[in-house]
Amino acid sequence: MCKNMPPLELAIQFHGHICPGLLMGIRVAEFAQKHLNVSQDYDEELLAVVETNSCGVDAIQAILGCTFGKGNLIFNDYGKNVYTIASRDKNRAVRIAQKFKEKPEPDSMRYRQLSRKVVLTDEETIERENLLGIIFERIMSSPFEELFTWQEIEFGFPQKAQIYPTVQCALCGEGVMEPRAVKNEKGYICLTCI
Amino acid sequence: MCEANVYIDRSGQEELLMEGVDRIIPGEDHSIFLENIFGERRVIRARIKEMELVHHRIILEEIKEAPTKRHLEIWLEPNTKHGHFHPGEEVCLELYKGYNMRSDKESEFSNPQAFWVNNGVAEEIGIHDYHGTMKVSLTREIDGMVHLYVREAGEQEHYAATLVEVGHHQHHGMKPAGLPLEIIPSDHSHARLGESYAIQVLKAGRPLAGAEVRVTYSSTQSRDYPHRLTTDEEGRAKLFLTSRGNYLFSVSDNNIISTFTLIKSF
Repeated sequence: MCKNMPPLELAIQFHGHICPGLLMGIRVAEFAQKHLNVSQDYDEELLAVVETNSCGVDAIQAILGCTFGKGNLIFNDYGKNVYTIASRDKNRAVRIAQKFKEKPEPDSMRYRQLSRKVVLTDEETIERENLLGIIFERIMSSPFEELFTWQEIEFGFPQKAQIYPTVQCALCGEGVMEPRAVKNEKGYICLTCI
Repeated sequence: MCEANVYIDRSGQEELLMEGVDRIIPGEDHSIFLENIFGERRVIRARIKEMELVHHRIILEEIKEAPTKRHLEIWLEPNTKHGHFHPGEEVCLELYKGYNMRSDKESEFSNPQAFWVNNGVAEEIGIHDYHGTMKVSLTREIDGMVHLYVREAGEQEHYAATLVEVGHHQHHGMKPAGLPLEIIPSDHSHARLGESYAIQVLKAGRPLAGAEVRVTYSSTQSRDYPHRLTTDEEGRAKLFLTSRGNYLFSVSDNNIISTFTLIKSF
């Protein structure tokens, strides 16, 4: 494509579909870029610590360039929609937490109900597409402070991702990153063979 | 092995529909959900005709859709997945007839005429049948926004208009072509997902208030238009864009049906 893809499109392309969770992640990523005055990461200048593995994390990867493969996406499995975005260059980090809603909006509840149904009637298909539109518009146009809280925090930057030598497992013969292998009298053993 | 192959009986002919099915859920309105061990999913309107459990065969009988009395309309779509054309490239669009961006292959066109609107003046351009597809092409060199429409006269008068971007970052809007009924973008010619897109309906050049504008998009799963808007006193209505790909706006008044295709780059 000869045109630059807008961030929203990048996230949808990466995630595969549009859903409310992804849109919340898009809001977080765009806020962090503006707040820290940073653009998409090239080589670990940015770091994201995410406390969830839900849809929103894909927006962080697609828009901010903090990815699993690059090693600048750290997943803490706390089950919380909390994202800390840090900039090495600026030595700043912002922790963004989704506000807790005791009772979701009725249209969000209905959307979830329809999304769980395996087979939808014609009317339900139309209703679901319309509900997604309503939720989509609400998430993208709500003031950020209605959806999230945020604060700048002190952040201990870890080292950039290291590249380690690959050794051969003495049992299966497959290559394994040296620090992940166990060494015994047979040689290096990978974790799957132990 | 406990999964089955699902076959469908179409007018006495059995054909394999899905292999390795391990989940079948009958739904409302005669739909059946199928899922196989490879994770493929499918919903089909059918009824279960026979289950040969020993042979792991399930045979469905297709339920043919009752023909619905929906009006037909015509619309234009660009012959590119790029969402725009480049200078020097032939601007080519395809004309369809159907409903809700679903082409009705049995419908025929009745001498449609295509026009290029240049500075408010309509100039007839080529439209031809290319192996069963009606193609509208503008062969001259253009850079900018190109306003095209097709008219098909008959018992019902059909119009299909669109605005095509040739080159990049073209931003000027679209002036009315002066059609008996037309939809034009209100604020800007560009549209992006996650933003509102406003249109105006004009009848003989004047805003048409209270008109129902149906809106659909290429990836809708609905059989009917998913969105219906009503124009305000100035004939305007807006929609928040939530889908990738092109959108179609459609309005009818008396015996005229007019559509506008919003072509998006993504």
